[in-house]
Amino acid sequence: MGQQHLGVPAARPVTVALVEDHQVVVDGVRSWFATPGPVELVAQGPTIESVLGTTADVLLLDLNLNGTMVVDRVAELCAGGQRIVVFSEHEEPETVRAVLDAGASAFIGKGRATRDSCLETILEVAADRPSVTPPMAQAIATDERPHRPQLSDKERAALLFWFQSMSKASVAARMGIKERTVRQYIDRARVKYAAAGRPAPTKEKLLICAIQDGLIRPEEVTVYTSLAARSGEEPG
Amino acid sequence: MIDDIEQVARRYARYTALGAAVIAILWHIGYDLTVTFLGWDSFRRPELAAAAWVVYAVIAAIATLSLWRTSRGPARIRELAVAALAVDVAVIAACRPEDLLGISDWAWGSVGWLGVMLTWDRPRWRVELAAFLAANAGIMLAAMIVTGTLDRVSIAKYLVVIVGGTTMQLGYAAGCDTLRARAEDAVLLARRLAADEAWRESAWRIHADRLRRYDAIRDAAESLLRELADGADPGDPRVRENCTAGAMRLRRLITEREDMPDELVSALRERIEAAERRKVLVTAPPLGGNLPELPEGVREDLLRAPIRALDGARSRARVTVSAMSTMVSVAVVADTDDLPVTAEAVHEPSGVVVTYQRQEGEIWVNSIWECPRPGP
Repeated sequence: MGQQHLGVPAARPVTVALVEDHQVVVDGVRSWFATPGPVELVAQGPTIESVLGTTADVLLLDLNLNGTMVVDRVAELCAGGQRIVVFSEHEEPETVRAVLDAGASAFIGKGRATRDSCLETILEVAADRPSVTPPMAQAIATDERPHRPQLSDKERAALLFWFQSMSKASVAARMGIKERTVRQYIDRARVKYAAAGRPAPTKEKLLICAIQDGLIRPEEVTVYTSLAARSGEEPG
Repeated sequence: MIDDIEQVARRYARYTALGAAVIAILWHIGYDLTVTFLGWDSFRRPELAAAAWVVYAVIAAIATLSLWRTSRGPARIRELAVAALAVDVAVIAACRPEDLLGISDWAWGSVGWLGVMLTWDRPRWRVELAAFLAANAGIMLAAMIVTGTLDRVSIAKYLVVIVGGTTMQLGYAAGCDTLRARAEDAVLLARRLAADEAWRESAWRIHADRLRRYDAIRDAAESLLRELADGADPGDPRVRENCTAGAMRLRRLITEREDMPDELVSALRERIEAAERRKVLVTAPPLGGNLPELPEGVREDLLRAPIRALDGARSRARVTVSAMSTMVSVAVVADTDDLPVTAEAVHEPSGVVVTYQRQEGEIWVNSIWECPRPGP
């Protein structure tokens, strides 16, 4: 901690663009990001196109826009290096894995989101640090696809307990370890997951920061293209 | 209904097979035996004809046994087919040359039925039966050539018997095969219809259940809206909590997507609804993936402690299910004081491990089942 990362300098607020088609949610998010605060909402619209062209550190994206799922748009948004945080009620592991594979930095489930957890995730993502929300923990821990990352038993247990318990402190008590160690297990699992999926500029930043923080060693990063990712790419 | 149709199909296969055996046996006793004994003196070597009759009868008995047991010809038929053709040759040899196409030479018209029995419902029955009948016709033609029986009348007789016999034998085999195929098609169709019906029934139940729950939420939303219209304060924590609870129930309905109801999920959902009726704010993220098959008793052990925590929740609860092909974990975090808590994990005989943890007024109950790993 305290090292200089590729992410946003601490001096200015993190800028966020929001894509959300429900006004009640927009109003709620706006109230969470009220100035002065660590996060500033600089653009908002009901479609992806309505915020394209806006420079923002993080794009907060609802997956279901006017009845259409936009999971397949995540990869193209991440390809330009835009950090994406998905904000959706579709917390099922398959959907979470699909957006993480496409390069999204984090997934916030609408069912359990609070102002504090949302701000924490956005700040971590803006700093290119590993961020693991409960739906992400569940999706990474229960991944059984052929090219899944090899998690240790403790990393997997920490993820599952984080998803199912009340706090990381309770996970620490359950596992008989320090809370700091729980965070390490969870962050390391997230980094392994990023390294095992489709290469994306946003994931590269996360991996570089993880190496800077000593979370992993450079030789541990073996990026390859997963089967799921390959199917969407051009041949040759 | 499927059982009835499958039984009919099995009967088709069995009785058409036995039909071939009955024809061959009746023919062999009614015609072949009569000709052999009544025309004993007309044979050049009657004992050879009698021996051929016995060999034919043995082959027919073996084939009938197979048809009786499996509704199919014997597994190995090459030796039996050669023996059947040898019967043909033996009876030709037993006859006087001038009787080659006469009444005494019973074998060449009748061994075709052995061919039908031997090749019955075998994977390549068409090719095998055609080859057998062609060999039978060829043997007779060769005998005619050897004995110089090639006049117009003899050739006409030969053609009449060969064409007549072959047509009956091939016709019976092909007709029964068509019947059998149609019966099997009917079974497949019946099974597909039954599967469709089961799916439709299940979809209807899920749909009806959702409609019922949408109705319940609609009532709750209506009373909330009326309350707000009558001047309830949106800043009142009670009103806000009721709105949040309604939104959560709606969100869960929207994200539910299982096509077939799972008993574990259904049981949990029932208790979640009961908790919501008690005004408990329940969050339950959608379950993804498929639950593995659980051994006897595991589901009950997985659910018991978490459901007790959910039932005891005062104002809020969070219900989660995590599943992989080798593991299922059910957890409830709730604000309940009543649940007896043990510091040590509880190991159920079914293999389920239940752990409890209390922290800041909340209890976390977690039951986990892991598929036993195969021993070394």
